[in-house]
Amino acid sequence: MTSTSTRDLVSQPYKYGFVTEIETDKIPKGLGEDVVRLISAKKEEPAFLLEFRLKAFRHWLTLEEPDWAAVGYPLIDYQNIVYYSAPKQQEKKASLDEVDPKLLETFDKLGIPLSEQKRLSNVAVDAVFDSVSIATTYKEKLAEHGVVFCSFSEAVKEHPDLIERYLGSVIASNDNYFAALNSAVFSDGSFVFIPKGVECPMELSTYFRINSGDTGQFERTLIVAEEGASVSYLEGCTAPMFDTNQLHAAVVELVALDDATIKYSTVQNWYAGDEHGVGGIYNFVTKRGQCRGARSRISWTQVETGSAVTWKYPSCVLQGPDSVGEFYSVALTNNRQQADTGTKMVHVGPRTRSTIVSKGISAGRSSNSYRGLVQMGPAAKGARNYSQCDSMLIGDQAAANTYPYIRSQQPQAAIEHEASTCRISEDQLFYLQSRGIGFEEAVSMMVSGFCRDVFNQLPMEFAAEADKLLALKLEGSVG
Amino acid sequence: MIRPDAELLLDINDLHASVEDQPILKGVNLQVRAGEIHAVMGRNGSGKSTLSKVLAGHPAYRVTAGSVRYRGSDLFELEPEERARLGVFLGFQYPVEIPGVSNLEFLRVAANARRSKQGLEELDTFDFEDHVQEKLQVVQMDPAFLERSVNEGFSGGEKKRNEILQMALLDPVVAILDETDSGLDIDALRIVAGGVNQLATPENATLLITHYQRLLDEITPDYVHVMAAGRILRTGGRDLALELEKTGYDWVDKELVAQGVA
Amino acid sequence: MASAELATVQEHGRAALERLGLPTRRQEAWRLTDLKRLEALARLPLSSAVGSSALPPAAAGVLRLVLDGQSDPLDGVALPDGMSVLSTAELEQVLGHTLDRCGCAGSWPVELNHASARQVLALRVRGVTHPLELVFTGSAGLTATRVLLLVEEKASLDLLQVLQSDVASAHSHVLEVHLGQEAQFRHGLLATADGQPSLMALLAVEQEPRSRYAFTSVVQGWNLARVEPRVVQVDGQATTELKGLAVSQADQQLATHTAVRFDGPEGELDQLQKCLAGGRSHAIFNGAIQVPRDAQRTNAAQLSRNLLLSERARVDTKPELEIVADDVRCAHGATVSQLQEDELFYLQSRGIAAADAAALLLRGACQEVIEHLPAAAEAWGPLERVMTGLSQ
Repeated sequence: MTSTSTRDLVSQPYKYGFVTEIETDKIPKGLGEDVVRLISAKKEEPAFLLEFRLKAFRHWLTLEEPDWAAVGYPLIDYQNIVYYSAPKQQEKKASLDEVDPKLLETFDKLGIPLSEQKRLSNVAVDAVFDSVSIATTYKEKLAEHGVVFCSFSEAVKEHPDLIERYLGSVIASNDNYFAALNSAVFSDGSFVFIPKGVECPMELSTYFRINSGDTGQFERTLIVAEEGASVSYLEGCTAPMFDTNQLHAAVVELVALDDATIKYSTVQNWYAGDEHGVGGIYNFVTKRGQCRGARSRISWTQVETGSAVTWKYPSCVLQGPDSVGEFYSVALTNNRQQADTGTKMVHVGPRTRSTIVSKGISAGRSSNSYRGLVQMGPAAKGARNYSQCDSMLIGDQAAANTYPYIRSQQPQAAIEHEASTCRISEDQLFYLQSRGIGFEEAVSMMVSGFCRDVFNQLPMEFAAEADKLLALKLEGSVG
Repeated sequence: MIRPDAELLLDINDLHASVEDQPILKGVNLQVRAGEIHAVMGRNGSGKSTLSKVLAGHPAYRVTAGSVRYRGSDLFELEPEERARLGVFLGFQYPVEIPGVSNLEFLRVAANARRSKQGLEELDTFDFEDHVQEKLQVVQMDPAFLERSVNEGFSGGEKKRNEILQMALLDPVVAILDETDSGLDIDALRIVAGGVNQLATPENATLLITHYQRLLDEITPDYVHVMAAGRILRTGGRDLALELEKTGYDWVDKELVAQGVA
Repeated sequence: MASAELATVQEHGRAALERLGLPTRRQEAWRLTDLKRLEALARLPLSSAVGSSALPPAAAGVLRLVLDGQSDPLDGVALPDGMSVLSTAELEQVLGHTLDRCGCAGSWPVELNHASARQVLALRVRGVTHPLELVFTGSAGLTATRVLLLVEEKASLDLLQVLQSDVASAHSHVLEVHLGQEAQFRHGLLATADGQPSLMALLAVEQEPRSRYAFTSVVQGWNLARVEPRVVQVDGQATTELKGLAVSQADQQLATHTAVRFDGPEGELDQLQKCLAGGRSHAIFNGAIQVPRDAQRTNAAQLSRNLLLSERARVDTKPELEIVADDVRCAHGATVSQLQEDELFYLQSRGIAAADAAALLLRGACQEVIEHLPAAAEAWGPLERVMTGLSQ
């Protein structure tokens, strides 16, 4: 496969489908304890981490792949996946000038310029290519504020105490099938630490790129905001177009101490497969934040447009009194895509509050499910939840499912859930058309209107991007 | 203003149309030239609203016979948005609410679609805000309405003003106003009518679809047409509207019987 | 009545139970069920005695049949005009058809019933006939009853089912109803107990176009209850109304699992489920709505309202919407809370004591469902029964 031609870019709605030709250091396919040890050795990890991996791996062997989600895909052969692949450049470079220009060019093409001259002015970026982080921008500037933003591997070397303290503290290595797998074989990812009282001076962002066709990506993100700290973090993802499926099983853990705020945004645009459902990423992700401290706040915003199959429930455990959890989601599926996504809001502490706003758009022959849990524990006195789940159906062959579980053990907690289903009405379309707005544009205006409550939560720089992405994804799906 | 040599903008010939296989229009003939104001009157169900929707291209209405030429070309060859870009404007009787879509953004996209067809420069967000401020005065509309979703939660009068604001922005060649007066109190009616009068020029034309004479107190038509049973039964000057006001529509039934239609 | 014909059904049922074993937590539909109680229920011997509870007099004009699982409920009864017993041949043809269509053939509660029921009451209803009241009496052990109704085109029927029991026992009930075009069926289920017995009730209803099915269930006081109304609009264009009230106290577990499927366009559903949970009880609601591709212009609304009345009670509610048609209106909502403070305050500010104000509000909350029961329910004092449960 060679890089794409212009024609491909024009005729394919997915413009990130190219492959970068680069020499890689790949271990052979297959998974066993030896592979886990090999990954750990390659990364020169301390003993506690190897133990963590082995424990997770041994547990994983006892688990069965979950089958309760409303998704279907052929059995994954876990022995037919490469668990470690890195572009050949031995050490992480001290300066970006030393990074393989091919890699810089790749990220340029993805709209994520890394070099000093071109990089985004108010966003620090960690760029992850297959299994490893290749560069992190603005590290020094952030360090001046005491903020740590680096690849996970670096953090293991430079801040092993923090890693040991927080890794697996929100999502135990045996939490679920995919989290256990990730805990055993994760290769890289991002680490963020905002010390007490610091408001992170810029947006932090990690950009994940899967390049290799037979490699799974198992990244690990850990964000810790100490007392009174705050940070806004954004992740983006793309992958080339292959006619095979690649597995992406990430784990993201967030920890917010007293009065801390973490805002985590995702624009997920992994390759979704073609219109017949061939190829695309299996996106099986475990994301959970723990509002450990009083008055802490964790907010998830996601725009999910890619992947062949998505299985993902960014959740909040609201432990600290008066802590706040939020989940704002847009999930768009088209063609043969399947998404089963939602959130869990687990109210433990008193007066905890949560808000869920989910907008699902199903087009083509896709299937789009919202699955959520709101749970009020016995101690969650005065807790409140409000959820709103809306589905929009485009065409009569797409499925929209809603499964909002609610459980309460606290009479003084209040839960309110509303859901509706709508379509783009003929009258609305005609009204816009009669004002000179073309059919496709009218549809995309209404879709983004439908999603507005969620887009408003995205950092400014990305809200417009998300809008465009949606319009692009819907092209040709209506009419 | 009637000028026999003015450009023929709209030429409707023996137009038949159905909705859900129910014939509604049964042979409408009408010529509209530049500078003219036409009023189409008639009772509910006479087909006047259908005429407006067919001209704008509503997908629920099917043209079964006849033709409409707009400035010489076949109107039915054009998608609804193409008609709008070329200057056909329909003011809706019931403007549609579109939650989540910002009114300002909607107006900007619509105005730019028309402008680019007119060979004018498209306006960016900032220039457009200035531009729209100017037009707001035509309908004396509160700028706060720009920040809301399209027509969402607008009162009847606010919706109609928003329609005329769109008309002002889209600079139509033929404006068809479907029952623009319905549901308006007298002050709102004057404002809306004032807007229409300000926008009328010797180059464009207006088709007022209305049930009552009172709109015609504010906007003086050159022609009044009475529709019944899907056709134009009679055409006259503004006196015809006054006569209708006095005598009501009863004579229409007689005439229909006489013609063997009813 | 047919018992010989049931022999095969029983045999199949027993084999199926053998094969299925008890439901487990791994099965989503049973995840929240107290399986120990279910096991106890499954172990009960078939009841052999005939229950003998005193019944209030039936309302005027109401045909009352008493089902105890053993004696013939039609013995000595003259059926009114418009109501007739299905012949053996007819019964053989239709028995189980609606269960199949509603997707519950082979489910555990159905097989339990198949394995245990010794008779079927199978009636055909034509035209407008007398209101029918079926009273199910329990005695020690497991009582299994099975009813099949064919409500013919344009016929109209009011049915009240009363299930009551006050001894340690269990009741398994399966009802199949087929509603012809334009048929009207108003159906009430009043199931109250004193905290000991268990109940598994599965109600499968098929609706032809333009039929109307209005179901109201009032469930209170069972140790373990699972009420499952399953409705299929076979060609859409029908109206379904489901109103449910479950009042649980002490350590009771009351579950309502509803499922409505639209197999055609323009169907309507209006659903309200209320759960009031006190003591250490557990209220469960699971409401599935399926709108497949052919069900364009479906209009469905589901509301689940739950009141937690004690620190140790719990509520699980789980709406499930599956939609594959684009031109549909499907709204659902759920709330869980305690009694509204401002409502309580309003009453108190008018001089009503806090406890009385709460009772008043609870009565109101129950009445909102109870008032939809068929008129025959009046004789049973449903509101008093439910409120007794609450004050325990």
